[in-house]
Amino acid sequence: MRDFFIVFKFELLNYLKKKAYFIPMIIICAMIIVILFIPTIMNFVSGFGKEGETGEKEEDVRLYAYIDVNNEIVNIDELKENFSRGELEELSSIEILKEKVNSEEYEAGFVIKSYTEYDYVVKNNKLYENDNSSFEYALKKAFRIHKFEEMGMNYEDVEGLINPEIKSETIILGKDSASNYLYTYLLTFGLYFLIILYGQFTATAVATEKGNRTMEILITSTKSRNLIFGKVLGSAAAGVLQFAVILLTAKVFYEINAEAWDYKLDFLFNVPSEVLLNFSIFGILGYLFYSFIFGALGALVSRSEDINSSSTPVTLLFIVVFFVTAMGMQNTEWIILKIFSYLPFSSSMAMFVRISMGTVSNLEIIISLLILIVSTVLVGFFGAMIYRLGSLMYGNPVKLREAIKMLRDQ
Amino acid sequence: MKLEVRDIYKSFSGREVLHGISFSVESGKALGLLGRNGAGKTTTIRIIMNFFEANKGDIYLDGKKFVPRNHRIGYLPEERGLYPKKKVMEQLIYLGRLRGLSSKESRENALYWLKRLDIEEYKDKKLETLSKGNQQKVQLAQTFLTNPDIIILDEPFSGLDPVNAQILKDIINEFINKDRLLIFSSHQMNYVEEFCEDIALIDKGTIVLTGNLNKIKREYGKNRLTVSSLSLSLEQLKRLIEDEMNNIVKEVEMKKEYLIIELQEDYTKNDFLRAAVDKNIDIKKFSIYEPGLEDIFVKKVGEK
Repeated sequence: MRDFFIVFKFELLNYLKKKAYFIPMIIICAMIIVILFIPTIMNFVSGFGKEGETGEKEEDVRLYAYIDVNNEIVNIDELKENFSRGELEELSSIEILKEKVNSEEYEAGFVIKSYTEYDYVVKNNKLYENDNSSFEYALKKAFRIHKFEEMGMNYEDVEGLINPEIKSETIILGKDSASNYLYTYLLTFGLYFLIILYGQFTATAVATEKGNRTMEILITSTKSRNLIFGKVLGSAAAGVLQFAVILLTAKVFYEINAEAWDYKLDFLFNVPSEVLLNFSIFGILGYLFYSFIFGALGALVSRSEDINSSSTPVTLLFIVVFFVTAMGMQNTEWIILKIFSYLPFSSSMAMFVRISMGTVSNLEIIISLLILIVSTVLVGFFGAMIYRLGSLMYGNPVKLREAIKMLRDQ
Repeated sequence: MKLEVRDIYKSFSGREVLHGISFSVESGKALGLLGRNGAGKTTTIRIIMNFFEANKGDIYLDGKKFVPRNHRIGYLPEERGLYPKKKVMEQLIYLGRLRGLSSKESRENALYWLKRLDIEEYKDKKLETLSKGNQQKVQLAQTFLTNPDIIILDEPFSGLDPVNAQILKDIINEFINKDRLLIFSSHQMNYVEEFCEDIALIDKGTIVLTGNLNKIKREYGKNRLTVSSLSLSLEQLKRLIEDEMNNIVKEVEMKKEYLIIELQEDYTKNDFLRAAVDKNIDIKKFSIYEPGLEDIFVKKVGEK
């Protein structure tokens, strides 16, 4: 154990002393802080503006022109009132209207022929412009009000009958997948990123030690088990620390600025502690599971340049796991997600998604957790054996299959 | 202490590379492990260090199974390697701690050896910034860090200039005088002759010669003489001996300045002298042949 802690400390400090560890972390934290402070700063600036000059807030109003060519529209005021895009102003002739629209004095123009017919005059027809649909809505409403009045009925009453206001409330017995979706996705993505990034770091560290031939001295100084466990757990701790610092920064600075955000991001930051706990346990174990594999892969190559090719199958597998899990977020009862939530290489993500967004019994969680713990320990010891074996082999990268065969031969 | 290597076999991917290696070393006597490139020296050392296991055979220390981790061992691997991007002191302390020293001992010992090897000034420098010779000395510092009882050096002199080689020689002699157990693998026969009382010569995975070096030399010199003549060239002398004295002389080998002759069994150097006088050979040089380790080495592993 003593040696394990020595290796662990050495490896962890290796990360903590590196600029490459701190600078990205500081940049990410700084970005989070800046983003979270934006509403507070904007409130401050606009509050300041209000005090200084009042009244001149008319700039934003968009002007639209219209002509009622046949004088058909009786209730023009209601038309204007229901046109939400801007202000409608009447012009005297179609020519003037076209001219003014062309000179961009008006956003667009409407030549009204009747309640059910009009021409839309615009300079450039844009894909996403919906001025005319807004106008159409206003025209339809004016038409309805006018017609109902003609029939001696109050439009408001009719509207109340056709579109009665219905009050409803959703009572969720299980999990509200919709509101959990975003933080579940972000946490899963964070874990994905952490595993891929630090997995590569671990593999590189091992391969580098092999490349510069430090391995022989290390292996004759202490048990290979201490080395691989210390190394993997050391990088793991560095990764978790980085992740935790970023999450904590986000949480703390959201709390500070929550009011300015109008508590709109509560769904993102108020993650239930039970979910966080499960994420930590499954996430860390899954992370270790993959780290051991990456560590062993690092031992199978002689130079750090070979790591990419040798780790590709594992990386691909992990990407598949991530995509399946992401798809499973649409439906936590999906059978493949359920299967994945028991397999050790995918349970860290799949089970977490099921816990966070679906309904899982404690027994299921415990079974999946036990499988993951046992597999992680096994992979750890297996990694130590591969590490020892791989440390002796130089030259071409050894395939995992060959390494297992060699382990059997020994 | 007595370390015994008993009948070690080792195969890699089905190919046997060690076919029953046996030798022993005692404290205070250095053993020279010799052999050509690829003979199996490093593999043998790595088995002693438990870097990998033998397929058959065992290592014993004072009659008990040898577990390297239970002893303070100074090991200088053939493949030199430390962390190039780490500071010298930092990595020495780390290695010292891994080998059971406390932080304080680690630091003190590291400083002592850096001083002793005359590289103290580099203690806070990254290893990769040091010259090759100085990096080699850091390797030596890591080897001696724990003041080991058992020292295994694989080609320790490679890369050292004569001054540094002298520093290392002094250190090795000191360890021998302190009754430490030392195994020394090298191609450089002069160093082996200088330190080692015993040798084990490996050829193609088999021990072809082992034992006390002086005894081996005597054995090799036994019945052998060196001779040259003032009046005859070495070639003429060789022909004369081969043609006319073959009842006394078994074999003649020509060197640059003299001939080495091996006498037939039951004949002595006096018999040869008498015959030489009879043949009227004007003798310039006549002595007992004392072979160098290099000659023995070449003769033993070069002739096949």
